[in-house]
Amino acid sequence: MNYVPDFSIVTDNWIVLLRGLWVTIQIWIPSIVIGLAGGFLLAQARLARSGWIRGSGLVYVELFRDTPVLIQLIWFYYAFPIIIGVQLSPYAAALLGLTLNTSAYASEIFRGGIKSIHRGQMEGALAIGMTRAQAMRRVILPQVIKRMLPAFTNRTIEVAKMSSLASVISVHELMYQGRLLSSTYYRPFEILTAVAFIYFVLIYPGTFLAGRLEKHLARSN
Amino acid sequence: MDYSWDFRPVFERFDMLALGMLNTVKIAAVSIVLGVLVGLVLAMMRLSTRKWLNIPALIFIEFYRNTPPIVHFFWFFYALPVMLAISLDPYFAAVLALSTQSGAFYAEVFRGGIVSIERGQWEGGRALGMTHSALMRRVVVPQAISRMVPPFIERSFELLKTTALASTLAYADLLYQAMLVNAETFRPLEVYTTIALMYLVLLVTASQLARLAEARLTAYQ
Repeated sequence: MNYVPDFSIVTDNWIVLLRGLWVTIQIWIPSIVIGLAGGFLLAQARLARSGWIRGSGLVYVELFRDTPVLIQLIWFYYAFPIIIGVQLSPYAAALLGLTLNTSAYASEIFRGGIKSIHRGQMEGALAIGMTRAQAMRRVILPQVIKRMLPAFTNRTIEVAKMSSLASVISVHELMYQGRLLSSTYYRPFEILTAVAFIYFVLIYPGTFLAGRLEKHLARSN
Repeated sequence: MDYSWDFRPVFERFDMLALGMLNTVKIAAVSIVLGVLVGLVLAMMRLSTRKWLNIPALIFIEFYRNTPPIVHFFWFFYALPVMLAISLDPYFAAVLALSTQSGAFYAEVFRGGIVSIERGQWEGGRALGMTHSALMRRVVVPQAISRMVPPFIERSFELLKTTALASTLAYADLLYQAMLVNAETFRPLEVYTTIALMYLVLLVTASQLARLAEARLTAYQ
């Protein structure tokens, strides 16, 4: 093996990778924030009294969890515009797909958390005259948010990784720029290794934090 | 919406999709088997008290867990061959990517199962005069296996979904075949909806089978 790596191709083009990283962040943060909010609503649907609402919630969650996320992105980019009659930009399709996907996974975290609180607490809150929304906000959520934190951190990490799939529908994020650079200069080893390294730096703090949170919770319980 | 659905052109080419499905299953099965081997080696390295075994395994695992799978696929397909001056076909590159990354996750599953066995069990075995390997074989591993089964299945399920990325290397999996069908029929809505449902059937079947296996394998707990 006498291949001589030359990483100057990476340092010469750092601005391109940086621009890609910025787009990655623009997909990642909104997907996770909107996805979590959507997941909360979806969890309410999954815990609703009406069988219809519960059933639709279940179908939605299973559709997103039991198909590859790449298929979802491709579907939202190539197929969905035909139904709505409006062409979506690659960015919009990626954001839509990842947000809906995140909401499905997040709803399971919320549902698990809410169900882990003893029923008596909700009954007690209702008995002293709180509405369901009040009981949720003042009694249930404050207790479960802490417990759900490691799972949410893990989800945030997963979304960061999934955002790289947007390159397949040509969103100009980090992976896309890496692919473009490596085919332009034919230096795939240096560029793809650098891209992997950038993702690692972006994602590792989250993994580290999730691990710490889990240990902390295990100790406090 | 005045779009008229027409699945006929897609169903006429169903043999192409069936071939893709078969290839998806094939690559997943091969990668699970190889991934288990990689995972066993890594887990043993991680459980070792020797630093020169432990630390490289830790770095390998953390690197894989904190970078997106698509980066691994491209790295093995474009970067590795340049470095080694060889050529890899898409199938091998995809198997390498899938089995090393699932190996990293499996290693944590295996290690987690072993370290979850309480200290008292080790101490009891030693007090009875068992050697380290007898203790492992007769006491620790049989109990650890049933704890490893649920996370192992979850990881394999993720792997099955990740195989869709092999299409980006032009491996003829279900997604890639769908792209071919789409190029022939210009019916993206029907094509991608069909394969989304095919993935759904595949994954739901796999998870039901896994649930059955899980019930049997964890029956002793």
